[in-house]
Amino acid sequence: MRDDERSSEFVAFTRAHRTDLMRTAALLCAGDEAFAEDVVQTTLTRLYLAWGRVRRADSALAYARRSLTHVFIDEARRAHRRRESVVADPALALASEPATATADLATRELVRAALASLGPRQRAVVVLRHWHDLDVAETARILGCSTGTVKSQNARALAHLREHLGTLDRLTLEVS
Amino acid sequence: MTSDDLKHALESVAATERPATDPAADLARARSAARRRTRRRFRAGLVGVASVAVLAVGVSVVVDDDGPGAPTVIASSGVELVAKTFEATPYTFDLTPRGWSVQAQQPTAVTIVPDDGSTSSDPDVFVGKLVILFDANPPDGRVVDRDGRRFWVSGDSGYTTLATRTTPGEPSGVVRIQYPKGAGWDEASMVDFLASVHVGPGARHGLG
Repeated sequence: MRDDERSSEFVAFTRAHRTDLMRTAALLCAGDEAFAEDVVQTTLTRLYLAWGRVRRADSALAYARRSLTHVFIDEARRAHRRRESVVADPALALASEPATATADLATRELVRAALASLGPRQRAVVVLRHWHDLDVAETARILGCSTGTVKSQNARALAHLREHLGTLDRLTLEVS
Repeated sequence: MTSDDLKHALESVAATERPATDPAADLARARSAARRRTRRRFRAGLVGVASVAVLAVGVSVVVDDDGPGAPTVIASSGVELVAKTFEATPYTFDLTPRGWSVQAQQPTAVTIVPDDGSTSSDPDVFVGKLVILFDANPPDGRVVDRDGRRFWVSGDSGYTTLATRTTPGEPSGVVRIQYPKGAGWDEASMVDFLASVHVGPGARHGLG
């Protein structure tokens, strides 16, 4: 494939799907926009280097999301050593918001903090299963683990989110 | 909390407003990475180590040599197999897939990855990789006989797995290779590569 052909396809793909990848990355990174941007940039570079595979994939976007998940997990593992983990209690995080915060901002902060308190792989399971609506088998394939692991991680993650987001309605009402 | 509630909650984080980004910046980064890769490969070629680079994590099986005296290409589908032996102790392979490298080797398994960086650096994540497994479980699937040896082909939507029994003189068991779909392997090349695996005395049966 000629380089200009690859480049033009890459630009078209990026123009069409970067926003989608950034939204997914933001969820995986629990709202850390700078980290999400890093993950997206690394993913796009990997896609360019393997553009032949992207072209051969049944769905280029699905291929890209899978690469993005791998990049995130790799980076999260490294980040664990160099970044300070976000372990703030979501309720405390919300309490630190200005009293004038809108309901949307409060909800976002609550959800972000709840996601941040999950481990990277649990977060990936939540995003793949409940944001992209992938089934257990496909999620397991992307994460390279068994379907049983996906089910157990998903159950634990949902229980955790339910515990932290159970007050969402009440909090939303409170700040409305 | 219903599924819709959760999706709505996730939307609140995903939908953050972001400045528009020019794809040209992504393209510039990607091209720069491609140039770095080309320079790396060129330098590796200058070292002249017969195109086989030793990586910290194992033995590279990259074959870049297209010049005179290059190894014979045995099969070429999307993946080229060349008649070049490499070791991932305790396993030995008579054929080398061009552009793939050993990522990890254990007594129970070997993981081989494409060199394009498209797969996880975590050896325990198998997505998109070749995984060679050794176990005592009976093989199953569609039977393919080739050169007096029997192979079993099975798989699901993401992978094709080929299995065969070890040959006399090798530890008794079944060798399996899990091939990712969409990576250029056809059945002939999958059989050829599996048939080229020799199991050494240090191999151990994996679980599962």
